[in-house]
Amino acid sequence: MTKINKPSNRFSLRTLILFLVPIILLAGVIALFLSTGGGLNLTPAAPVEELTVERYVLDRGSIELHVRNTGPQELTVAQIVINSAVVRYTIEPSTTIPRLGYAEIHLNYPWTYAEAYTITIFTSNSIPFEVEIPVAFETPDPSASTFWGFTLIGLFVGVIPVFLGIFWFPALRQLGRQAMTFLMAATAGLLVFLGLDTLAEALEVAGELPSVFQGIGMIGIGAVTTFLLLDAISRQQTQVTGDEATRRLSIAMMISIGIGLHNLGEGLAIGAAYNIGEIALGTFLVVGFIIQNITEGLGIIAPVLRDRPGIGKLALMGIIGGGPAIIGAWIGGFSPSPFLAVLFLAIGTGAIAEVVYEIAKLIKKDIEKQSMPYAVFSGVLTGMLLLWVTGLMIK
Amino acid sequence: MKQLSRRDFLRTGGLVLAGAAGVAAVSKPVSPSSHPPHQHDQMDHPGDLPGTVGEVDHAKNGFDPTQILTDFDYGKVSTLPGGQILREYEVISINKDIEVVPGIIYPAWTYNGRIPGPTLRCTEGDRLRITLKNGSNHPHTMHFHGFHPGAMDGVPGSGPGGSVEPGGSFTYQFDADPFGVHLYHCHIFPLARHIAKGLYGAFIIDPKGGRPPVDHEFVMVMSGFDVDFDDENDFYAVNAIPFHYQNHPIPLKVGESVRIYLVNILEFDLLNSFHLHANFFQYFPTGTSMTPAEFTDTVMQTQAQRGIIEFSYRYPGMYMFHAHNTEFAELGWTGMFDVTE
Repeated sequence: MTKINKPSNRFSLRTLILFLVPIILLAGVIALFLSTGGGLNLTPAAPVEELTVERYVLDRGSIELHVRNTGPQELTVAQIVINSAVVRYTIEPSTTIPRLGYAEIHLNYPWTYAEAYTITIFTSNSIPFEVEIPVAFETPDPSASTFWGFTLIGLFVGVIPVFLGIFWFPALRQLGRQAMTFLMAATAGLLVFLGLDTLAEALEVAGELPSVFQGIGMIGIGAVTTFLLLDAISRQQTQVTGDEATRRLSIAMMISIGIGLHNLGEGLAIGAAYNIGEIALGTFLVVGFIIQNITEGLGIIAPVLRDRPGIGKLALMGIIGGGPAIIGAWIGGFSPSPFLAVLFLAIGTGAIAEVVYEIAKLIKKDIEKQSMPYAVFSGVLTGMLLLWVTGLMIK
Repeated sequence: MKQLSRRDFLRTGGLVLAGAAGVAAVSKPVSPSSHPPHQHDQMDHPGDLPGTVGEVDHAKNGFDPTQILTDFDYGKVSTLPGGQILREYEVISINKDIEVVPGIIYPAWTYNGRIPGPTLRCTEGDRLRITLKNGSNHPHTMHFHGFHPGAMDGVPGSGPGGSVEPGGSFTYQFDADPFGVHLYHCHIFPLARHIAKGLYGAFIIDPKGGRPPVDHEFVMVMSGFDVDFDDENDFYAVNAIPFHYQNHPIPLKVGESVRIYLVNILEFDLLNSFHLHANFFQYFPTGTSMTPAEFTDTVMQTQAQRGIIEFSYRYPGMYMFHAHNTEFAELGWTGMFDVTE
């Protein structure tokens, strides 16, 4: 291989044809395969069907099922059995649901508060699909009072703790440089803990998704692209300003975005759980929850302790960090979607990972200026232990 | 017990708050919705009576439970040289897709293309010749309950009649005895599957001189369908089609005498039962006596138990009859007598 042809940048007809050859061949292979079956016997003994119940809505004397055909071909709903009784139903738009199509099944059924139900949907191929209602109670409607209810949930689990953490700002400003670096490391520790939690949750919800949506792949797309996008934004800002303080502020902003996405995921889970009637255990847990999430506010302000960000900026970061819990609760409560949940959790994972990376760069600079051998180790450990120990209180 | 995760905690925490916030649910109006195709315009049941949506295609199935009620096959009758009555029957076993519940096609195995198979009826002492032709792709037999020689038992190992191969045939020959209500079914391994798939039918031997005349005689064969093959019945019925006599009540007049030949061939479940509303009946277990054994409104039968039920209605009205295993009733084994003046 000594002779090197200098590639021509011009796009000639010949290049076009060369590009098209494999595609034309592909079309030929597909056509051949479709017409002959390629010598394979691909007729299954029984049809492969998959029906996913995305949501159920309980109303007085009725149950509504939101179903999606996640199988490889269309299917037809034939009969429905609730707790060993065949029940009449109506279905919109049609008993036959196309691939990835959606339908709403309406059942008149005198369900009883707090009892459990198993609903079996038989397709025309006698394939049963079951949905369990572990605790029956009326599904909240998007009325003013439920809206306010979910808003309060979001306030308690997201906004209030984050702001309480931010209120440490004046006190923490009194700390020395080494303590501030320690706090930054602690923030990194917190974020690593939260990131793992977010990723674990994303994986868990992805497992519940119908396989056609490829939940794990979605986590990859959401997390990796978010990481790279935030990284690109951060590089661009460094190029534009080069100012250390602005850079630290933008990192604080990114921390609040990452924490916000994490809280959005928490809100989604809370809203969805409320929707299917997971039972409350006690106010002690809520208190524990507030204590644990205070650390999130602390994390947001850690990078900007040596600067003088305006109150407005701090408030904005608090809202970005905590507010999404409210939005998540709304979405989860009124229109829970495991698909969206996986996406948000994946984005949260990527964002948190990127923010940890940014903090690591800041800490590295600090360490280069002043030697503090154990600040990072003890800080990260403290941050992680903080969440772990407060977690003990609430589990 | 389920381990609580952080999310579980969040859920619980959130719920306390939701409760504190007084989250109220408001019932919303039922939106108008399209009805499934192939729906039947029979009585629109008010309230929450269980039932299937739509109606099976009886013509395509090749049988109608309403007709099966009174469809007795007396065979081709002739007299043997000795004066004995000879009855000859032809039964063919075939695979057949049957719409057992509206919208659900079950790959059934049948005698004469119907479930239950033909109700074979004769008189005590008759010579019976029942020819089974196997038009399916599995070996099948007809195993009769009653007196007969071992070679006529329709059980593997009992000779050519013990396994009639696809395309083959065999004639079971024996004298009808004892009188009563009996049954026949396939006896090929795996037995539970061969029965559950639909290979069964009623076999009635009348006493010499017959039973006292009544206004109506009905055959009711209790069975179920395991449509998803998990060895548990998904639907139950008399004469195969769930809810058929609820959707198509059996008409009666006040005071008319009714005799039901009741047979239980239900697979997978231990017991079945028959309960008559607002009435009592005389019960003749296995129909082998002319004297009733019990005056009751509910009888229980295990698989292959059978009996004769006799009653009449005093008052007009719609009266249920159903398995008093309520689960079976709500999964299809329920029906109505429509009694008028």
